[in-house]
Amino acid sequence: MTITRAMFRESGNTVCDGYLLKRLAVGGVLWLERNKDRVNQLNVFPVPDGDTGTNMLLTMRGAWSQIANVEEQHVGKLARVFADGALRNARGNSGVILSQIWAGAAKALEGHETLTAPLLAQACIAAVEMAYRAVEKPVEGTILTVAREIKDAVLTRAEHEKDLVAMLKTMLYAGRTSLRRTPEKLPLLKKAGVVDSGGQGLVFIFEGMLRALCGKDVSAPVTPIVVNTPAAAVIQEGEAWEDALVPEDDEGYGYDVQFLMYGENMNIDKVREDIQAMGWSTLVVGDSNLIKVHVHVHNPGIPLNYAIESGADIDDIVVENMHRQYQQYVQARAEREGGSSPGSVMGAPVEGVAVITVASGKGIQRIFTEEMGAAYVITGGQTMNPSTGDFLSAIDALPNTEIILLPNNKNVVLSAKHAAEQAPGGKQIRVVASTTIPQGIAAMFEYQNSISGDPPASLDETVKSMMEMLSHMVTAEITRATRDVEIDDLKVKQGQFIGLINDVLAVAGDDITEVARELLHKADADRHERITIYYGDTSTERDARNLAEALAEEYDALDFEIVFGGQPLYPYMIAIE
Amino acid sequence: MAQKIRVICDSTCDIPSDLLSKHHIRVVPCFVNYDGNSFADDGVQLKREEYYRQLPHIRPVPKTSAFPPGLVEPVVEEALKEADHVVILSVPAKLSGVYNAFRLGSSNFPQEKITLIDSGQVAMGLGWQVIIAAETAEATGDVAAVKDAVQRVRNNQRLYAALDTLEYLRHSGRVGWASASLGSLLQIKPILDVREGEVKSHSRVRTFKRAFEELVKLAHEQAPLDRLAVMHADNAKGAQELKDALKDIAPSDTLIVNITPTIGTHIGPGGLGFASVSKSWRN
Repeated sequence: MTITRAMFRESGNTVCDGYLLKRLAVGGVLWLERNKDRVNQLNVFPVPDGDTGTNMLLTMRGAWSQIANVEEQHVGKLARVFADGALRNARGNSGVILSQIWAGAAKALEGHETLTAPLLAQACIAAVEMAYRAVEKPVEGTILTVAREIKDAVLTRAEHEKDLVAMLKTMLYAGRTSLRRTPEKLPLLKKAGVVDSGGQGLVFIFEGMLRALCGKDVSAPVTPIVVNTPAAAVIQEGEAWEDALVPEDDEGYGYDVQFLMYGENMNIDKVREDIQAMGWSTLVVGDSNLIKVHVHVHNPGIPLNYAIESGADIDDIVVENMHRQYQQYVQARAEREGGSSPGSVMGAPVEGVAVITVASGKGIQRIFTEEMGAAYVITGGQTMNPSTGDFLSAIDALPNTEIILLPNNKNVVLSAKHAAEQAPGGKQIRVVASTTIPQGIAAMFEYQNSISGDPPASLDETVKSMMEMLSHMVTAEITRATRDVEIDDLKVKQGQFIGLINDVLAVAGDDITEVARELLHKADADRHERITIYYGDTSTERDARNLAEALAEEYDALDFEIVFGGQPLYPYMIAIE
Repeated sequence: MAQKIRVICDSTCDIPSDLLSKHHIRVVPCFVNYDGNSFADDGVQLKREEYYRQLPHIRPVPKTSAFPPGLVEPVVEEALKEADHVVILSVPAKLSGVYNAFRLGSSNFPQEKITLIDSGQVAMGLGWQVIIAAETAEATGDVAAVKDAVQRVRNNQRLYAALDTLEYLRHSGRVGWASASLGSLLQIKPILDVREGEVKSHSRVRTFKRAFEELVKLAHEQAPLDRLAVMHADNAKGAQELKDALKDIAPSDTLIVNITPTIGTHIGPGGLGFASVSKSWRN
């Protein structure tokens, strides 16, 4: 028997089963989706690769896709499936931490058929514990702090409160308070004038849950950013994303239809059953007075007619042509990747220790595969952080039993580390935590030296020499500011060129050559030997050559080298060695 | 019965002239050919500093060649006038025609008085074999002891060199892998490992600093050292720095050698390396 909203209310809001929990989850996913861009904008630095919101949403979507078609009353079992989905699809630091929160909660809920306030408290304790373990050096003023302070509030309240709605409200209010205080704990946030993005994402999730429980609208417009948007497809291992997006139905993608039904004494189970029979990717949530319908169909008239004929008032009708969305998505994705073929790139097979790395841009990918002998390059990095699952798929795809993961981005390091932990037995996986592309390339030189040794170096020796290389160089990057910001004495206007040194905002200006010059100055370039300029998909070789010549006037003792990178969004990435 | 033994080698050995005369070592010069001329690499026709300054601008890139057997004959003849036996040490036959020129040039002499050895080494790698051969000859007067000493040195020596660029080695055509390597997307500085007549790529790095650190590490792996020569191609500053960085393991008679143009032509200006012999050779 399922606990409906009515039964929940009769119990004094004290007992929740899998059915209700699933509705909470969907509320969390949809509300996060609606507010994703707000989370993305909360980047400390105004770089265009702010995608905390996207990463958290992809993680949540991945979790949701596992329970979407499951009717499971057992809270413990449902939570386990949900958490596994999150783990596999976790991407970005916040996504990985989020997946650990669900994993911890699922562990506490194991074996429990229903959720009560004391059990919620247990789940919070386990969730926070696992979340803190997700990172080596937990930083306060982040999603971790928000999660911990939510847990603290729950523990205090659970001593005398049995009402789960009240508990959820407590969680939300504690989360919001904690979020507001994140700038006090993390000076970087204060300087940038933002609250922590991951913490904000978590608050949105709980807000969505509460809204779902209270029957408030959590609907979000379908956004074309996610791999599984058009057909709610889940990309299978080893499958190219284009293949994964082929329509589920021979007749094509069809239409995405969403609307609200207002009425009295509506039977939501009946509505869900009827709607499910009409199409696919069905989502029907609500109560006897308000039902939110989401369904993919070939004829949008059918579900709309059904709703009207049932006697309900319908409102907030959104009908979208998914085939057109798919085409736009393909185009946007191709543009974002600088015309390179999307997906992953396999290098030549290697014996012994293999490297899986992450990069965007034809030139950079070519350097990793053809020049440096990487066995597998996952497309992504600054604009699309690969998930733990992406790494696991790559690990599966290689026959090698000793593999090094080279993430090349600070937001990908955690996914790589979790993939290394989750990798199947029999494979030894190590992570060399490179945080920039030039660092990754420098590390690959050491990789090559190690494997071409006679005898080849062991896995751990190889990792050691690659790690040593990371600190041997400075990375400077130039991109455009996505918003106005003032950090320390640096005033940045939206659209201006900004320069980062080892991922930290250092320079802003309107002239790209001047920004580059100042970057080299701040990076003490004259104490190094070699400057390598990787030019991106919006720069030409001539641009890069002119830049190098301008810089060489000042730094005539240094070797300048120009290399086509083809990376998106960053006109220049500069390795200072 | 102790014999009087003289040692002969080719000019790639790079032994400083005071040591050559001290040990009565005779050197047959190789040739460097460019601009339609052939220059003997004897320190007279080709001055090292000047040659390395010109090298980047000489096109086509100079070639080197072994001496003709005819130049070997008078040297062997002269040596045999003052000695009972001649030991000839040569740069590897795999890399050069020198060994063959020595073989042919000494073939008209009584073969029981000639010992010809392919050293498997170049530059001061060859140089240390020659010097130790001469020392052993003086101390023992025993050809077998000289051959044994050379073999033990060979088993305990290393030669590593970091090149500023792979270009010259590629042009030289004498090292297969270097000639075969296509132009790379990224510039590299190769570190070479010369052993048993083979020039191998030990590693590839991006910066001179990194190459320097690697050389220091490799030298320390050979310690304790009996002999050490720091070699460079027109990079005296780098050589001095390397010697300083190795002062904890460098023997007091450590040499700094600006390598001979015959070798320098193949590795290009700026190269830096060392040739060591570990103390274990004496065991």
